[in-house]
Amino acid sequence: MVEPVTGELPGLLRRLANPPPLVRELGAMPLGAVLTRAVRDLARRRPEIFSRLNEHRTRSFVIAPTDLGLSFRMVPNGVRATVAVSARGQFEGDVHVRGPILALLGLLDGTLDGDALFFDRTIAVSGRTDALLALRNAIEDAELKPSDLLGLSGGLGRVADFRVPKVLSKLRRMAGMPLDEVTP
Amino acid sequence: MSLELVCPAGTPAALRAAVEAGAHSVYCGFRDETNARNFPGLNFSPDELNDAVAFAHARGAKVLVAINTFAKAGAADPWKRAVAVAEDSGADAVILADIAVLDHAASKHPGLRLHLSVQAAAATPEAIGFYAKTFGVKRVVLPRVLSVEEIAVLNKAIDVETEVFVFGGLCPMTEGRCSLSSYATGRSPNLSGVCSPPEHVAYEDDAQGKTARLAGFAIDRFAPDEAAGYPTLCKGRFVVQGKASYLFEDPVSLNAAGLVERLATAGVTALKIEGRQRGKGYVAEVVRTFRAVVDAVEAGRDPVEAERILARLVEGGRQTSGAYRKQWR
Repeated sequence: MVEPVTGELPGLLRRLANPPPLVRELGAMPLGAVLTRAVRDLARRRPEIFSRLNEHRTRSFVIAPTDLGLSFRMVPNGVRATVAVSARGQFEGDVHVRGPILALLGLLDGTLDGDALFFDRTIAVSGRTDALLALRNAIEDAELKPSDLLGLSGGLGRVADFRVPKVLSKLRRMAGMPLDEVTP
Repeated sequence: MSLELVCPAGTPAALRAAVEAGAHSVYCGFRDETNARNFPGLNFSPDELNDAVAFAHARGAKVLVAINTFAKAGAADPWKRAVAVAEDSGADAVILADIAVLDHAASKHPGLRLHLSVQAAAATPEAIGFYAKTFGVKRVVLPRVLSVEEIAVLNKAIDVETEVFVFGGLCPMTEGRCSLSSYATGRSPNLSGVCSPPEHVAYEDDAQGKTARLAGFAIDRFAPDEAAGYPTLCKGRFVVQGKASYLFEDPVSLNAAGLVERLATAGVTALKIEGRQRGKGYVAEVVRTFRAVVDAVEAGRDPVEAERILARLVEGGRQTSGAYRKQWR
């Protein structure tokens, strides 16, 4: 047996990340539009990331943070990618990934090892394992920085790339996630 | 340098992470069935290999290209092409298993250094001598079924280098001869480059925990607080005569960090880390730790606590010294 890693957002932050349902619902659609644009911009700048997905770029990936009142459905189809956000339960999709938001963000920027998070049950996956593996490997190789994900460039991008990992690392320590040690 | 640390890379990013973490050599493969880690989204294009070789060489590291599946009869072009592309990239060696591919490489690419893959399962002086004499193989990756004492005896009887696994997933079978994955899915590491191909893997969560299925066969069920493992049949848990147990092999990871000094004394040239399918976080941490182990052994310093450092990265949450320290004889 392994000691499970909770990794969920610390108290105050968790309350901030879970506003009343009406606020979440009002925010879901614009957030989806912003994320869709960010992924499409990424596809224009870094098309090689999406080429690793091959046929899996048209699959739908449902990401459900367990400590956030929102879930996400992404179809990573390059410049035609879409991201939808819902404040009401789960989406339907080809692949489902559930886990604390800090763990999921750690997978996105390559800070955390996906297999280790799966072994110790921090994250749960279901659906098309081949599509999930393709996405995981594409993200792994992409070495995404916060500026890539947020679509920032210039000074703002450099600030984000410097600050955001430090903040996330601190939050992970607060959340009791020792896997931060595997940072390359 | 007396011990060479050979590290895995499934992507160019992982290769860079391995080199920066202290790998002496990195092994990788192409995005097709010519290598035994043919998973979606993984591996290198020819252009990526060229860049990777340049990156590694600029930092004093070597690149070994695994072309270690068995060529299909009458359709060996992908394997021949892979050998040619590897040589063109400037790679330091190719890791081969199939006699036909070895013969092609030895006759058509005589300047290319050949290593014998673990998939060839050569573990005797006679078998290794055959590959060395017939194809000029310079190094053999030994199957994970030998004790340190057996490796020492073997090294005295052969005149090629040996490379042994020291960390990562364990393959309990006579490697290159396993048909479990083929039986369940029709695809295998030997021919298709995939053990438990992911399109046949499914995880189901319910109140009893997590069930792992391969091609519809339930191969394990994990309680909610139990560490999970890879969905390989050899590490499945089955009910026999009313009792559930791991019939073939427990889902544990090899960690032979504590045996590095003995392996060096036994005449081993290179230490191999398994895990081309793992992420760069894993690669960086394992390589960094084993480089510290190797450096400590060579400098005569206190041992590194590799088991503690790497505990969270291993399959099943457990580590073993495997066959190196056989207890049952």
